[in-house]
Amino acid sequence: MRAWPALLILLPLAAQETAPAPKETAFAIQEAAPGAQETPAAQETKPAAAKTKPAATEAKPAAQETKPAQEAATAAPEAAASAATAEPGLTGSLDVGYRWRTGVGGSLDTYRSVVNLGDGPKLFGLDLSFQSATRRWFDRIGVRANNWGGDPYNTARVDAMRHGWYNFNFDYRNIAYYNFLPSFADPTISRGFFLDQRSYDTRRRMSDFELELLPGRRIVPYLAYSHNAGSGRGITDFVSDVNEYPVADRLRDKTDNFRGGVRIEMSRFHVTLEQGGSTFKDDQQVFTSDENFGNRTTPFLGEQLFLTNLTQAYGVRGSSIYSKALVTANPASWIDLFGQFLYSRPDTTVHYAQYNTGQFVNLDALLFFTSELDLLNATAKLPHTSGTFGFELRPMRRVRVIESITTDRLHNASFASLTQNVIAPPLTPQSADFTDRLVWNYNQQQVDVLCDVTSRITARGGYRYVWGDGLTRGSLISGLPTESGTLRRQVGLAGLNYRMAHGVSLNVDYEGASGDRVYFRTSLQDYQKARMRVRYQPVPSLTIAAGFSVLSNQNPAPSVNYDFLSRENSASVLWNPSGGKRFSLSGEYTRSTLRSDVNYLEPQTLDQARSFYRDNAHSAAAMIDLALPRSGQLSLGGSLFRSSGSRPTEYYQPLARLVMPIRRGVAWISEWRYYGFGETFYSYEGFRTHMATTGLRWSR
Amino acid sequence: MRSELPNSRAWPPRLNSAHPPPPETCSSWARLPRALAVAAVMLFLAGSVAGQTPPPESQPAPAASQAATYVGSEACQVCHEDIHKAFQKNPHIAVEKDKKRGWETHACESCHGPGSKHAESASPADIRNPAKLTPAETDKGCLNCHLNQPTHIGRIQGPHARNQVSCVACHAVHKTPEELRPRKITAINAECTQCHTAVWASFRRPYKHKLPEGAMSCVDCHNPHGTHLPRSIQTVSANEPGCFRCHGDKRGPFVFEHAPVRFQGCAACHEPHGSANPRMLARNEVRFTCLECHANTPVTAAASRTLGGVPPAFHDLRNPRFQNCVVCHVKVHGSNASPELLR
Repeated sequence: MRAWPALLILLPLAAQETAPAPKETAFAIQEAAPGAQETPAAQETKPAAAKTKPAATEAKPAAQETKPAQEAATAAPEAAASAATAEPGLTGSLDVGYRWRTGVGGSLDTYRSVVNLGDGPKLFGLDLSFQSATRRWFDRIGVRANNWGGDPYNTARVDAMRHGWYNFNFDYRNIAYYNFLPSFADPTISRGFFLDQRSYDTRRRMSDFELELLPGRRIVPYLAYSHNAGSGRGITDFVSDVNEYPVADRLRDKTDNFRGGVRIEMSRFHVTLEQGGSTFKDDQQVFTSDENFGNRTTPFLGEQLFLTNLTQAYGVRGSSIYSKALVTANPASWIDLFGQFLYSRPDTTVHYAQYNTGQFVNLDALLFFTSELDLLNATAKLPHTSGTFGFELRPMRRVRVIESITTDRLHNASFASLTQNVIAPPLTPQSADFTDRLVWNYNQQQVDVLCDVTSRITARGGYRYVWGDGLTRGSLISGLPTESGTLRRQVGLAGLNYRMAHGVSLNVDYEGASGDRVYFRTSLQDYQKARMRVRYQPVPSLTIAAGFSVLSNQNPAPSVNYDFLSRENSASVLWNPSGGKRFSLSGEYTRSTLRSDVNYLEPQTLDQARSFYRDNAHSAAAMIDLALPRSGQLSLGGSLFRSSGSRPTEYYQPLARLVMPIRRGVAWISEWRYYGFGETFYSYEGFRTHMATTGLRWSR
Repeated sequence: MRSELPNSRAWPPRLNSAHPPPPETCSSWARLPRALAVAAVMLFLAGSVAGQTPPPESQPAPAASQAATYVGSEACQVCHEDIHKAFQKNPHIAVEKDKKRGWETHACESCHGPGSKHAESASPADIRNPAKLTPAETDKGCLNCHLNQPTHIGRIQGPHARNQVSCVACHAVHKTPEELRPRKITAINAECTQCHTAVWASFRRPYKHKLPEGAMSCVDCHNPHGTHLPRSIQTVSANEPGCFRCHGDKRGPFVFEHAPVRFQGCAACHEPHGSANPRMLARNEVRFTCLECHANTPVTAAASRTLGGVPPAFHDLRNPRFQNCVVCHVKVHGSNASPELLR
């Protein structure tokens, strides 16, 4: 596993650099309550409870990204901070324990597709920080790991730094993907078979390394490497004329990405230059050696079609180079300029081989045959250029004008050469060449004017014009080699931010568009989009928030007649009286509705029909934390999801968690959780199970 | 006590000047129509506005601080011991320690302005409080140092900036490094969901990305500082959607592309935050996902002005074999061997 070499290198370094351990145990108590590392079950309902930060005057959005091209600002001071204030030694926490799962009632495959947690000893969380006493090789190393021990998603992260010298980050994810849902793709279910003919049991492993040199200086070089590999097995279909055969599928792909660049950060401007490249390979193999009659239940022209042997081998190789240039500048105090140029040129080469035996038919030649060998060689190139330019102008103290122009354009040109060789009965090999082309040009120009009407009110108005064109291959029936479409949309923008007294803030965002050209029938055309958020914090211990959003989209063209409407209403409350000394309460509720209605013609009859989709969902989560004697804590809560409409679904996850300190720095944590899932129309896919977890947490 | 700091160029004291800002006059409002007119023509000709008198830099410091002088962080510590203590673990303590930045021993006043009056009166009115300024003014304080950095490129056109979400809404300036810049997956998600409650509710649906389980975070897919893609989607390999960072096998280029994947991205068919439908599909059955575009209307793209309306074949959808299109069109994201996406 590629994650461990870095750990093995860094941990001994950490051990050397760590100050001598104190006489008492290396882990001293810091907190008794559940803290930074939650068990996976707890994490799921934690976000509401985590809202302990007093509400600011405006909304609280997302946190920062960990990508190297983003956070130069914090890197240098962070390093300096640790150098200046850190106390040498080891701090952190460790959660280990055991999980039991009762038998899964109902569908185990659905359980594995949705939850997939199992029994066994687990490392639920590790969060350690080493502060160097000598600071010879590093100032600080942080190591985090979560959900190890057979869980379907393992993560690890290492951050190491030395002030003014380097920043190093390593991130590892190992995520299992199991998906076996007969309701998704099982044409044979009416015959009593429960088989998802598009199923997966795979794992994806991702490693990211980033090394930033000389952080905080004017010129900051950086290097990065990413590795992404997926492997596993599944079921797919081998498609032949008038029949298709579910067969085993072995999946294996890998992407390696290398990049390096330099950031130049001056007082009046900033430039980032980056060059990168990637390699890709996909060695999917489809195979069977069993007799397979496929999904067709009746003979074709008196002949029973079947498959006895199949080998499909996809040898796909890809590579890409890319370049990135970012610029910001503030030539004067009243204007900021920004721009970026991005270019990539991925390409693919393909060597595909297929050998199949059995009884098949070629509809074009009306020929039955028993053995076939297909060989295909192909290549594709997709140059992709993107650019953005804009500025923020401050003509007056209260007024800002933000202008941006974006263009994004790509085209894919490909060529394939196919040789079809019917071996039995022997026929002359048939060769065919294919060319294909896809073009997409997207442009957007937007201007926003923001005005601080008063010290509490900021209003915004703007205009966005979107235009572009696209080209793709035409359908076989139309007989046209290509189809082209255009995009043209004019959007009005408005917003209001009202920071009222008494801890109330309000944010409103609106877009209204009129489009006369769209690429697809369900694309945004004539749409109205609005969102409102309000937050009220009457006292520091109580925060109430509510949100409302709506999106309405129509395409009134007679052949389309598309009508879409979605609404989301949400409310949340966090009550943390006396800093949660006795209890704290968090809860949130969301009501979402979605309605989509569009015309189409039934393929078999060309009768008018409607694709009508509805989803009316309630989603809620709540958690109450009760303080117990001896600094213990009992948490009760859970989450639920319940929807009606086109696919009625229920999904419940109640939980109870007990945290009891045992001694200084050690706490006993136990949790019970229940998973219940059901679908009205697909009752065979429901499941329910109980899960119990117990373990210890060391913290220092 | 001192009234002027050294090396102010390295840390432009725009917001901290002890000198009073030029008063805003009616003339600045009188320039509004002209400024808007210039904005209306997109201001490509920056020179046209260069002729205007540049506005004074933002000086929202309270009037009471006009005569105030710098007193140093130790004076702040006397009353604000808790903040002082927490700040010692914050990366911004570098401002306090680093001579290069010009604010050595005056980190508090680098953001809050000169504090002598406040130290004397203890009145909140006598000190600049960024949390009570407009978001733009608050951000300007941060951007004094963080302006010329990569994050600012996306930020200018990003939705957070446009919706007045200031830097301090996400970054706790006084607290620990983790609170200043969350790195733990659960901490990142908790930060985002304080506002995006309805989005987080989508992750309670059965088919979703594994965010509640702690396998992913919001910033794996979104860049909160903005990108050139809609919804601040992360990019990978310079300008490709961040979805391909994990789903590398869907990246292509394919010999035979499926146009919506390139034209509208994954969200054309999937609900990436979560869905009650398997594979996070936007519709309960696959055929409806497909038929909404491949609608069989006997109109070519030129006439219908939409792509893909004419299907590649006629199937009897009453037959279970044809009710899920991807049973046969197995390479629906793009194929390297079949124009009909069959293999």
